Amino acid sequence: MLKMQNIRKSYRTDTIETHALRDFSLEVAEGEFVSVTGPSGSGKTTFLNIAGLLETPTGGQYLLDDDDISGLNDRDRSRLRNEKIGFIFQGFNLIPDLNLFDNIDVPLRYRGFKAAERRKRIEKVLDQVGLAARAKHLPAQLSGGQQQRVAIARALAGEPRFLLADEPTGNLDSLMARQVMELLEFINEWGTTIVMVTHDPDLARRAHRNIQIVDGQVSDLHAATQPEEAVGA
Amino acid sequence: MFGYYLSLALRSIRGTPILSGLMVAAIAVGVGAAMTTLTLNHLMSQNPLADKDSVLYAVQLDSWDPNEAYDSNNDLPLQLTYRDATALLRSDIPSHQVAMHRWGFTVNLDNSELRPFTANTRVTTRDFFSLFDVPFQYGGNWSADADENPVQQVVLSKETNDKLFDGANSVGKTVNLNGEPFTVIGVLAHWNPVPKVQDLNNGPFNDSEELYVPFGLHRRFEIYSWGNTNGWKNSDGSGYESFLQAEHVWIQYWVQLDTREQVQQYRDFLTGYIRQQKEQGRFQRPLKFALSHPSEWLVLNEVLRDDNRVLGWLSLAFLLVCVVNAVALLLAKFLRKAPEAGVRRALGASRNAIFTQHLIESACIGIAGGLIGILLALVGLQSVKRLAMGYVDQLAYMDWQMVVAAIGLAIVASLLAGAYPAWRISRTNPSIYLKTQ
Repeated sequence: MLKMQNIRKSYRTDTIETHALRDFSLEVAEGEFVSVTGPSGSGKTTFLNIAGLLETPTGGQYLLDDDDISGLNDRDRSRLRNEKIGFIFQGFNLIPDLNLFDNIDVPLRYRGFKAAERRKRIEKVLDQVGLAARAKHLPAQLSGGQQQRVAIARALAGEPRFLLADEPTGNLDSLMARQVMELLEFINEWGTTIVMVTHDPDLARRAHRNIQIVDGQVSDLHAATQPEEAVGA
Repeated sequence: MFGYYLSLALRSIRGTPILSGLMVAAIAVGVGAAMTTLTLNHLMSQNPLADKDSVLYAVQLDSWDPNEAYDSNNDLPLQLTYRDATALLRSDIPSHQVAMHRWGFTVNLDNSELRPFTANTRVTTRDFFSLFDVPFQYGGNWSADADENPVQQVVLSKETNDKLFDGANSVGKTVNLNGEPFTVIGVLAHWNPVPKVQDLNNGPFNDSEELYVPFGLHRRFEIYSWGNTNGWKNSDGSGYESFLQAEHVWIQYWVQLDTREQVQQYRDFLTGYIRQQKEQGRFQRPLKFALSHPSEWLVLNEVLRDDNRVLGWLSLAFLLVCVVNAVALLLAKFLRKAPEAGVRRALGASRNAIFTQHLIESACIGIAGGLIGILLALVGLQSVKRLAMGYVDQLAYMDWQMVVAAIGLAIVASLLAGAYPAWRISRTNPSIYLKTQ
């Protein structure tokens, strides 16, 4: 599903060049649930941004579904992002002046679905995350856990095959964090590939596989649970 | 997606009413000021004879003082002497030709309660109506005979006919002009070209005349000019006949020459006429005459003055200042929304989509600014009208072209103002905002 070979990413200012990722190589198979851990500043978010086509690597090769994305223009990258990738952020990143329905509607609008199709999908995912009755509420009227569930619903509405989560439970208390994690596991069981950045070792262990990033490189690869179960899920 | 972007734009504008209001105000003030000035300039620079511009010519002859050139842009008198005008009328080369000037009659009706009033009158040869394509509502024109002999016939403007006869067909009725009976032979439809290119000597933005009488009436009524009469030499003798023969210029002269051959023949005719006059001791300056199309005539007479042009540019510069202000405000507004743009990018919006969304918001602000700007321009024009005390009534209104131009100007201004901020927000790195929001 995802294959990165010797990915490099550096940020240059007038006086200094910072290497966020160096010879970063990783493969994620279809249906896997991979957790990514590492100290702050190690390059986890940079990896996630490149994986999500929000940033372009300075060098190396990135294949998504065997397609090399390095030569794609912004329009094609945006289309791929919209069709194949879902995002879940630590800060939820809901648009504050749109109600839940309209927030979930955003990626579907860019996909070009007709109104009836959009409504069907929005109602379905809201139902899946248990917030169907709150469709007309604004994000500020919900708790943090509920907001994250809306963000997950928004990520799922386009039925992406690949979900990127950047510390999805970082802003939640332990009860809500557990609920969100269970929701992610449920989504993974239905076939969606998930890559989740987290600082929480307990959550990391619940993934099929954990990778550690240190100084912009993959330092360790080990199975968090049984890989064959994960791939076969 | 346009409808979606539009709904986002309106939502965004409603969400920041003060900031949006300031931007609308900035564009409205700029458009209002620019359109007030540009409307005046636009109407001043119109050529109401544009349709016949290629075949009509104002005639100038240099009959002026041998010691000093006439004070005009081409050193030629802007009008002709009566002698020259009546001599040129004998030519059969032009398709139509008009000798004319402004005059005034006191008007009254027998057995009417209407109080006598003074009416601006055009004393003209009959070709006036065909040469300038003047439309008739009732009746028609006087005969060629009336151009040389005193025939007491009159053509009324529509407004005069409304005033005297309540708009009824008055052909055949009698009107008293300076106490003498004149028969109405025609009534014009509304005709009021702006600027009054046919006679720029008497206020280029004044209304057209209320009455039209034949050129052959001069000696009968001892008609002088109600307008500019310039002279450099009196004739021998005294009295009205002496005035007619003097080197005084007060007759406007136009010809219609439909072909190149006609133009060349008429040039030869004028050259011959001037040479003939020189032999008689007149036209002592170097042989010179001019035939000017209406568009050239408007420039020659400086209907749109240089200071009007400068004012037009200044008003556009003011609009530019307003646009720059709007750029700053839009930049502040859009960059405040950068996190939302980052989320949209992550959810599949391309840079172009973000750019278009914000440009449409700018256009909405521009349209609102443009509409308010039109209202401000109307207020501005009313103020100009009031200040000018009736002298620019024909100029101080917005025609449909200027309304369209105002909206266009506002949209262009707002797109110019919005293009850079929209481009900036579409180029921001979404990952920055996704992590920090």
